[in-house]
Amino acid sequence: MSESLGISGNQLLIGGQFVVVAYFLVVNGWYMLLLVSSLLEMRRHMLLIADESRHLLLSSTLSPTISILAPAFNEEATIEGSLRALLALQYPNLELIVISDGSKDKTVQVLIERFDLVPVKTIYEQRVKTKAVRSLYRSSTYPALVVVDKENGGKADALNVGLSFAKGELVCAMDADTLIEADGLQRMVRPFLYATDVVATGGTIRVVNGSEVKFGRVVRTRVPTNALAGIQVVEYLRAFLFGRLGWNRLGGNIIISGAFGLFRRESVLSAGGYLHDTVGEDMELVLRLKRLSYERGGPGRIAFVPDPVAWTEVPESLKVLGRQRDRWHRGLADVLWRHRRMALNPRYGVTGLVVYPYYAFVELLAPVFEAVGLISLSFGLFLGIVDWNFAALFYLTAYGLGTALTAFTLILEDISFHRYDTFRDRTLLLSWALLENFGYRQITVYWRLRGLWKFLRGKKDWGTMERKGFKPLAAPTSGA
Amino acid sequence: MVDTGLLNRVMFVEIALLVLAVVIYFSHGLWLFLNQRRLRRSTETARESLARLVTRGTIVVEDIALLRQLRHDVQENVFLEISRSLTGAGKERLRFVAQEVSLLTRARKLCESGSWTRRLRGTRVLSRMDVADPMVAKLLADPHPAVRAQAAEWAAIQPSLPIISTMLTMLADPATQARFAVQDALLRMGGIVAEPLAAFLETHSGLPAEAGLRVAGALAATGFRPAAMRLSGSDDAGVRIEASNLLGAIGDAPSAERLTELLKDSDSRVRSAAARGLGRMQHWQAASQLAEGLRDAAWHVRRDAGLALRSIGAPGALFLRRALKGDDAFAADMAQLVLDLPEAAAAG
Repeated sequence: MSESLGISGNQLLIGGQFVVVAYFLVVNGWYMLLLVSSLLEMRRHMLLIADESRHLLLSSTLSPTISILAPAFNEEATIEGSLRALLALQYPNLELIVISDGSKDKTVQVLIERFDLVPVKTIYEQRVKTKAVRSLYRSSTYPALVVVDKENGGKADALNVGLSFAKGELVCAMDADTLIEADGLQRMVRPFLYATDVVATGGTIRVVNGSEVKFGRVVRTRVPTNALAGIQVVEYLRAFLFGRLGWNRLGGNIIISGAFGLFRRESVLSAGGYLHDTVGEDMELVLRLKRLSYERGGPGRIAFVPDPVAWTEVPESLKVLGRQRDRWHRGLADVLWRHRRMALNPRYGVTGLVVYPYYAFVELLAPVFEAVGLISLSFGLFLGIVDWNFAALFYLTAYGLGTALTAFTLILEDISFHRYDTFRDRTLLLSWALLENFGYRQITVYWRLRGLWKFLRGKKDWGTMERKGFKPLAAPTSGA
Repeated sequence: MVDTGLLNRVMFVEIALLVLAVVIYFSHGLWLFLNQRRLRRSTETARESLARLVTRGTIVVEDIALLRQLRHDVQENVFLEISRSLTGAGKERLRFVAQEVSLLTRARKLCESGSWTRRLRGTRVLSRMDVADPMVAKLLADPHPAVRAQAAEWAAIQPSLPIISTMLTMLADPATQARFAVQDALLRMGGIVAEPLAAFLETHSGLPAEAGLRVAGALAATGFRPAAMRLSGSDDAGVRIEASNLLGAIGDAPSAERLTELLKDSDSRVRSAAARGLGRMQHWQAASQLAEGLRDAAWHVRRDAGLALRSIGAPGALFLRRALKGDDAFAADMAQLVLDLPEAAAAG
């Protein structure tokens, strides 16, 4: 069969394999640089926060007001618990704005009953065009709680409405079902107090699946036994602890998770708020803030703070996870396309010359290279051009360095926050880190390629996210 | 077939890295486990000893000896932990014990270190233990902002005129972190700061004046009025905003008069602050000027002028109703919005 392809065909196939391996090595080499950068950054951060007294910030009248924007859509089952946890956050000047984005269930009624909401009127400036607001409520029990009931317009629209009503100097954008640790905001606000050029800060998102949750707080951290969720724990650690932290030092952060991010309200409003017609609205906003800072000359630093932690539930079904990854990749492609003028443009400094090409070449095109490598390897095996020894070597070489880097990320977590401190958790984490190379990575390649394809075809739907709900602590037995 | 030598070599390096990472990961885990188990026991004993020493007020030699033998970081943690819940005589006894076990001597040494992280650690210990040590005062001029900020936190509990004077000069600190800590510390010092701060504001302008005005705004003493009057004419809009806020907080007749003038300021944020100040002091004499504010080009000035009119009471409401029938549609819209507000929202 190999003869039918001819010598040049064989060489092309083998050459292609080496190109793919070289790509993996270059990418992983860059990851190594990020890992070193994140190690240095983590060391500096840990020295700064060791035994710091945030109680001063907590009681200072000079602390900036933070308005939490929590968009909610059909969340009647979980909204009460989520809000009670948010209302218990430790921060002095806090406002909580829940935006019901045209919920079709009883989200608003549940809120009215459980939080003693009364209809109110207020004067607000609509600087960003949004769908109509139906009504506005304030809680008579918790005066800091405001609920906006509006027509459905998507998450970006809901956040824009929240921006209009917010009174805080800073706004915290989050998902209604994100669990923020009690002192998360105190930690997250630090960069705004330390520098005047910061426009946004992001914190670490961790996977809550498998952990125990009580009253909206994670009380016991455990690595999930479900393989899909477990591998995502590893992915999240890698993304946040060495990806974003590493970029922090290199001045190239352009992603803040939509599940938990803190922004300077005026900067977001001046930039035009969140965009409606993209599925990557959080990354788009951050990149726009960054771009405008170069064009208009204002503040534009994006800071990542590793210690404020928010917990999120990740999908445990392939179908839902596939939709999520497909959407993320479409979002990435869309954002990079919208801001393509930044690519390799010296006007945009590090962002244009380093960060943008990294995201385009490494993040966006990774599934293409990976798919080419895997398909050509299968072809080579099928046609007898490569033998099984070569195939195994190629596979292990391509994924080996990535796995080693993941293991170093686990060490970074262990020497800094060590949330997963039992032998069981360590073994599970390492197992998931090894296992992700066999099947999981390949299927994510397919999902991301699907996302890329959909982007090229102009599809902009969100898909639906199904959640199992948090695992509560076992109820105490009665009669004790 | 293909020569796999290169791939072999690359894979060998990768496997070596992976094995190294796994060994470090589990070894660190084991070390953490053993260390925590060992420390738990010694920390608990140390806590009990320290609690005995601090509550009883009598020196037990064995307890001191036990605390002295502790690992330095554990000793530091135990002392800092208990220091949070102690004041007065209890804290005084804690300081005595800390001196006996050389914790304070070590902290002073750390403060002299060439490394900023060590100086920060030393300052934190002396600050948490409320030690009135001139060494920390010197660190108010440290090259690292985190150390300066920590020293400012210490200064909040050691108010004296020389320290206040140093702190005031730090209002010009280029590092936001240090400036925030200084502002907060000055506020915590309370009334004692008023006189030197007023004198400082009378002679300064720009960034330090703006930072000082924020502190003065929270203290709101009438002694700040001359400085606020002067600074309300500053070239810097940020300074004029803070001066307006301060005048609004002082709330006497001369302040109201100046705020009325500031309703015509070139910067819309200053006009807004002036309107808010007049509304806060319910200065009905400025109603007609506030009504002019309803026609302002900036939305937030129209809103603040409207809300100020509403808070003034009957005279303000009269102007709001008059605006409803006026020729300016924007003013009429804002007046309608303000009049539609329920009582509590308008007051808020």
